[in-house]
Amino acid sequence: MAAPAGTAPSATPASAVSRHRIEQGFFSRTLPFWLLLPTLLVLLAIQVVPGLFSFFLSTQTFERGEQMFVGLRNFERVFSSSAFNASLFHTLFFLIGYVTLTLIAAFVIAQILNRKLRLSPFYITVIFVPWVLSDVVVGLIFRLFIVPDYGLFSSFFANPGIFPPKGISILTTPAAPPLVSGVPFPPAPALIYLIFASAWKALPFITLLILAALQTVSREVIESAAIDGADGWRTVRHITFPLILPTLIVALFNLTLNGVNGVGLVFSLTGGGPGTATEVLSYLLYTIGFGRLDFGRAAALSVFMAIINLTLILLTLRISRSEREA
Amino acid sequence: MLRTKEVKHRSLALLSGVLTAAVLTACAGAPAPTQAPAAEATTAPTQAPAATEVPAATEAPAEGGESTFVTWYQYDETNTDEKSDERVGNEYLRKTIPLFNEEFKGKFKWVNQPQAWDKMVLNLVAAVQGGGEVPDLMQVSADAVATTLYQNGAMEDLTDWIKAQPWFSDLDAGAVSACTGLDGKIYCVPVAETPQLVFYWSDHFPNGYPRTPEEFMTQAEALKQKNVYAITFFGSTDFDGGAATRFFFTALASFGGGYDDGKGNMLLNRPENVKAVEFIREIVAKGYAPEIVFAGKFQEEEPMKTAEAASFPTGIFGYRYVNPLKAPSGKEYNTKTEKDMIDAIEAGDVKISSFLAPEGMKPSCGLGVTGFIIPKGAKNPDGAKAYINWIMDQRNNADWVIGPGGGVPSLNTTRAAPVFQSEFFKQSIQATAGLCRPWTGTLTNPPEAQKIIATTIYKLIKEDPTADIASELQKAQDEYNRQYAPGS
Repeated sequence: MAAPAGTAPSATPASAVSRHRIEQGFFSRTLPFWLLLPTLLVLLAIQVVPGLFSFFLSTQTFERGEQMFVGLRNFERVFSSSAFNASLFHTLFFLIGYVTLTLIAAFVIAQILNRKLRLSPFYITVIFVPWVLSDVVVGLIFRLFIVPDYGLFSSFFANPGIFPPKGISILTTPAAPPLVSGVPFPPAPALIYLIFASAWKALPFITLLILAALQTVSREVIESAAIDGADGWRTVRHITFPLILPTLIVALFNLTLNGVNGVGLVFSLTGGGPGTATEVLSYLLYTIGFGRLDFGRAAALSVFMAIINLTLILLTLRISRSEREA
Repeated sequence: MLRTKEVKHRSLALLSGVLTAAVLTACAGAPAPTQAPAAEATTAPTQAPAATEVPAATEAPAEGGESTFVTWYQYDETNTDEKSDERVGNEYLRKTIPLFNEEFKGKFKWVNQPQAWDKMVLNLVAAVQGGGEVPDLMQVSADAVATTLYQNGAMEDLTDWIKAQPWFSDLDAGAVSACTGLDGKIYCVPVAETPQLVFYWSDHFPNGYPRTPEEFMTQAEALKQKNVYAITFFGSTDFDGGAATRFFFTALASFGGGYDDGKGNMLLNRPENVKAVEFIREIVAKGYAPEIVFAGKFQEEEPMKTAEAASFPTGIFGYRYVNPLKAPSGKEYNTKTEKDMIDAIEAGDVKISSFLAPEGMKPSCGLGVTGFIIPKGAKNPDGAKAYINWIMDQRNNADWVIGPGGGVPSLNTTRAAPVFQSEFFKQSIQATAGLCRPWTGTLTNPPEAQKIIATTIYKLIKEDPTADIASELQKAQDEYNRQYAPGS
């Protein structure tokens, strides 16, 4: 449209409008970026930069205060040590036991609580207690139960009638000779006990997670299944379980990562012992880094553990996605 | 409408900008990782009251005026808890900080920043490597000097200075060697020696502590018949193999063995060590030591407290922690302080001895030393040196040795002081005279060595008591030497 006669065409309003449009378009397009930027910067500062620095550190060593580049020597030192091989197996056994036990126990407890018992809120509160305790406190409590000769339950475990032929001392009885050479299996009693303590600590969160999922399962569906003749186990297997599967995957994910990375309980309960029977990767990392102050080698191990974590995350996401698609 | 949208967009952009700036500012303002020790020091629970009053370690000395001199001790003068494990050192600092500050008024002002005992070295190494805040002086054990601090280049070389001091010639030679790095330079000032000794109940060993392994086994069997364990010791692999620095070394060294070949290599597989491990293995197999020996976390002390165990090889410093005590006669020492052990020794219920040795040999033991280092990057080394001289002065030396030192004096003159004429000190000095040496020897990576050694000996005496000792020792030695021996 032409400008009215007598009015000189002014460039200012037109350019202002177009600038508004440009700005409007620019901000509309980039708004998500601006909103995400602070979070990205925080993640960059506390995750990416330290991660990259760890990788850098894994190629360095300190000799008399002088930092030196050593390539992959730290990785070689980590992987060739006997402690690493043993701790890898310990971590694996620990993870299998811890994740399985916690998931099964949490599922059973959540099923019971979902039946709306008279004192359900009270039970939920009681079950939640371990969650608010720190790992170190839980470790010390569980340790006090089984200290040889002095622990609350030490005489129970030391009873040859219950644990033939000589009874056991959880904290000090070594593992039985390995079934396969080089594979520390069966595990020491201390590792099994550590699994129990860790499961007890993790139980509340996982129970609540599953309970919340169970409460979203429609009662009508369960009742219809019952009318169709499905018994309790079939209902759980074919209806409840598939419906809460996404939550179970989240729980699995959470437990696995906690299991791989947790160090507090090992530190306070067994100190990696007896011998090296409960020395898991995270504890080995702690001792190399903060015990021996060998930061280069600790960084190499942490890079390895980061790869394990990433693999687990990707695996879980993949399973989760294929379940959703199915 | 357009204007409203524009305002919204600009507001959002501004908000994003502000948030970004805030994040960047926070990141920039956040302390570098290596500054953590200083932060920790001022937030440690035990020193909360003083936290805000502690001046920064970097406070520059005023021109011609009073300058701040900062120490890191495992003790905390603001902690008045009578039940604190560290009460002796806490009390010492409370008493002496005002004395020092009075004497050096206008010149130095001593400020202490308490540190957790098991984090001090870590904090210092992190601070030195990252260029963070370091103290002017740190209390330290020679174990750490020879190991992590040396390896990480965290200490100033004190060789020339210490040799020029009037008290240097009075120092025990063993203590000086414990402060000497592999390069022959002196890095710490030894003030107290903390040797590994044997505390034993005299009622259980009425003829004194056994002198030979054979004598020990005979008496151990007799004690077993009375439901008494002959010995309790730190036998677990806890604390990253701490057992290797304690009883394991004392036993191996007393049998004539050790951990190194004198040239930086680990030398475990030798007949003396095999014999020593056989001896410990027999003690465990025959039930002469309680199961709690392997539980870790220092719980092996418990049977000694109740006299269920007849003897306890440990650092002399341990007298502070092994309490309350109940003698075999039923007599109790129950103040629940370090006084209990001292009283039991004065009463003759507990005695101190060196360890045993095979016929014709002299027993040996691990030698620990506590003293001072001046960290690399210390801002006020003059203050630190003035403080060291103040401590090494005969007026103050004994107090430090029985306070934070927890051992016997490194200065020979101080050993003659009246306070060291008690039974506890007389027996300690006599039991260790010239017999002890640092466990580290010439090993270039002692932290790694102690883990490997402790795990191997533990395996041989507890986990797999039928394994061939020589080949397991050889395996451990090879694993270490492959990675850490000089030139590896």
